Amino acid sequence: MPDRPLLRICYVEDDEDIQRVARLALERVGKMEVSIIGDPTVALEGILAFKPDLVLLDWMMPVMDGPTLFKRLRETDGLRDLPVVFITAKASQRELDELREMGAAGVLSKPFSPKDLPEQLRAIWRTLP
Amino acid sequence: MTSGSAAPVTLAPTREASARAEDAPGHADPQRVLADRVEQLYGQMPLGMLAHLLLGGIATYELWDQRTRDLVLFWWGLVLLVTAARAVLYYGYRASGNKLVEADQWMRWMAISALASGVTWGFAGAVFFPSHPDEQQVFLAFLLAGVTSAGIPAYAASWPMFAMYAGAIVLPFTYMLGTFGNRLFTEIAVLVPIFYLINVGIAYRLNRVFLSGYRLRHAYDRLTEDHTRLNKQLEQQIEDLLEARQEVEASGRKLTLFAERAPISVIEMDANSTILEMNPAAEHMLGYSTLELIGRSALNTLFPADEATLTPQWWAGFVARREPVTRLRVRCLRRDGLEIMCEFTITPLINESGDLVSIIAQCQDITQQLEAERLKKEFTSTLSHELRTPLTSIIGSLQLVNSGVVGDASGEIAELSSVAERNAQRLLDLINDLLDIDKIESGKFTLQPERMRLDELVQESLVLNKSFADRFRVALEVHGELPDVQLHVDRKRLMQVMTNLLSNAAKFSPEGSAVEVSTRCSEGMVRVAISDRGPGIPEDFRSRIFTRFAQADSTTTRHKGGTGLGLAICKRLIEMMDGRIGFEDRPGGGTTFHFELPVMADAVST
Repeated sequence: MPDRPLLRICYVEDDEDIQRVARLALERVGKMEVSIIGDPTVALEGILAFKPDLVLLDWMMPVMDGPTLFKRLRETDGLRDLPVVFITAKASQRELDELREMGAAGVLSKPFSPKDLPEQLRAIWRTLP
Repeated sequence: MTSGSAAPVTLAPTREASARAEDAPGHADPQRVLADRVEQLYGQMPLGMLAHLLLGGIATYELWDQRTRDLVLFWWGLVLLVTAARAVLYYGYRASGNKLVEADQWMRWMAISALASGVTWGFAGAVFFPSHPDEQQVFLAFLLAGVTSAGIPAYAASWPMFAMYAGAIVLPFTYMLGTFGNRLFTEIAVLVPIFYLINVGIAYRLNRVFLSGYRLRHAYDRLTEDHTRLNKQLEQQIEDLLEARQEVEASGRKLTLFAERAPISVIEMDANSTILEMNPAAEHMLGYSTLELIGRSALNTLFPADEATLTPQWWAGFVARREPVTRLRVRCLRRDGLEIMCEFTITPLINESGDLVSIIAQCQDITQQLEAERLKKEFTSTLSHELRTPLTSIIGSLQLVNSGVVGDASGEIAELSSVAERNAQRLLDLINDLLDIDKIESGKFTLQPERMRLDELVQESLVLNKSFADRFRVALEVHGELPDVQLHVDRKRLMQVMTNLLSNAAKFSPEGSAVEVSTRCSEGMVRVAISDRGPGIPEDFRSRIFTRFAQADSTTTRHKGGTGLGLAICKRLIEMMDGRIGFEDRPGGGTTFHFELPVMADAVST
């Protein structure tokens, strides 16, 4: 368990409505600092600039999907060890297992409950080394 | 298809029959030979009795004079008596129903009859010879010689019987001649036993001839019998063969019909994959006519050059293994160059000697099926994503509004936004249920079983469903102690079942009542029961309650909410966890739904 609380979240998500709901949930309910990135192709720069504690990653996005971005993160110095939690509307167990095998810190499903989202992320945060 | 009742067909005569046919002449049945001899002896009786009466009458007439009248009358009476007794014996024998078994007995009676007959004539010789003048003595000697030699054919079937009969005639006569005191008579008395012995000798020889005649006849009878039996056997075998042939022909016609009309392709090949025969479905699937393909190699003709599954190496291995292969998916090349995906079942036909006769390949074009499966999968995935994404915003926004995170909503705004959230949740439940049932029914649903405590699961399910039950003003209660047992189940899915049963119970319970959860352990299973005081399950709904889209009546459903898939999913989930699910009327009104699951053997502590 990391020795500091989970405070800074970077959420890569293309759907603007979900962005808004998530921002409200994390900022108002979770009292966290949030950076939302809508375009996955510029996500690396945004994440490097924001320096989050944890990245929340949508699976299905235009141009570059979540898993591809995840691989990029793993290949980028300084972001290699950043915890990544996927949030996906995909329901297949096989796909969720795949994400875990790729090294995701956790997988949350959509629709998520805005009330519970911050606590769900903190629960994952506590499982990290 | 084949007759199970047809006897095995063998053309060779049975070992028993041939053995009997070979040794029959030497082994005639002695009892039957005896019976034949008895029959022969009794067959001579009518003539014998007639001769006895005739000769006795002539003798009585010839010997009649005043001096010996009483004695002659007595003798004539004796002749009549013996003849009558023999007649009775004769009719007794003829009336007998079991001459074969009683042959010994009839033979003995015949011996007594022969002796009596001989004694009658012996008496005549001994008594009348000395008391009559020369003419009558010549007559008597002639008569006695005659009746003695007539005994040879009459008793030919038994030489001892002849010896007894002739002895009874000759012995007293010889004695009388020897003691008469006349030299001529004394010399005749010496000759008579010699003639007697010669006659017995002849009778003995004749008897031997008769015996071998009987034996031959029996051997012939038995040969004929064997021959008839073998003939019948052969006829039966030919009949069986004909029947078998008809059955085989019928099966053949049926098989041909099956192959011709079958919607799947059937191709017969030899071990080198040379095509021998194929059905119309195969012609249709591959675009070739049968004549075009017969004699051609299936491996070189029907599959693309880069086909990786059905290669010549694979074929060689298959021919060597000689084991049927099923569900082999291979790309095939049609005559028009179009590639299709086929699913093959390939079966080697092996005869009784273990030789490979031919290879039957049955196959189906599954190109469209695969495409449909792919589209369905894509559709399900897209449906899931495209429906959940807007729902994420809708439910998320409404939750934020309703929970007051973004400020207080009040009055009708709060009420309506709760309605919107609840119904958005219903929509999500429906999508989840549809995806679940689709995955379960397509066999792609996998459980992730883990060890878990039953009491924790029950308590957690009550907490999770409390707010739902509160809406209906229904309490959720545990009835009795929860056992300390562990289950090996998919936690999430079992919780889904509990949620389904609890929410159903709460929905249908009258306001102010309680839904009771109780548990019971027995024989390695734990039973969890959820009881309500609702209106009960209507009679006509009971049989289909666990089927998809089953709802008792649409009014209630609209009023209470529900997809009609919940119980169908519960049943499948519980069964996948090796359990059973059911329901019963609750005494005092209401319904009890229950499921049973296996308890982990090493984890029962109470």
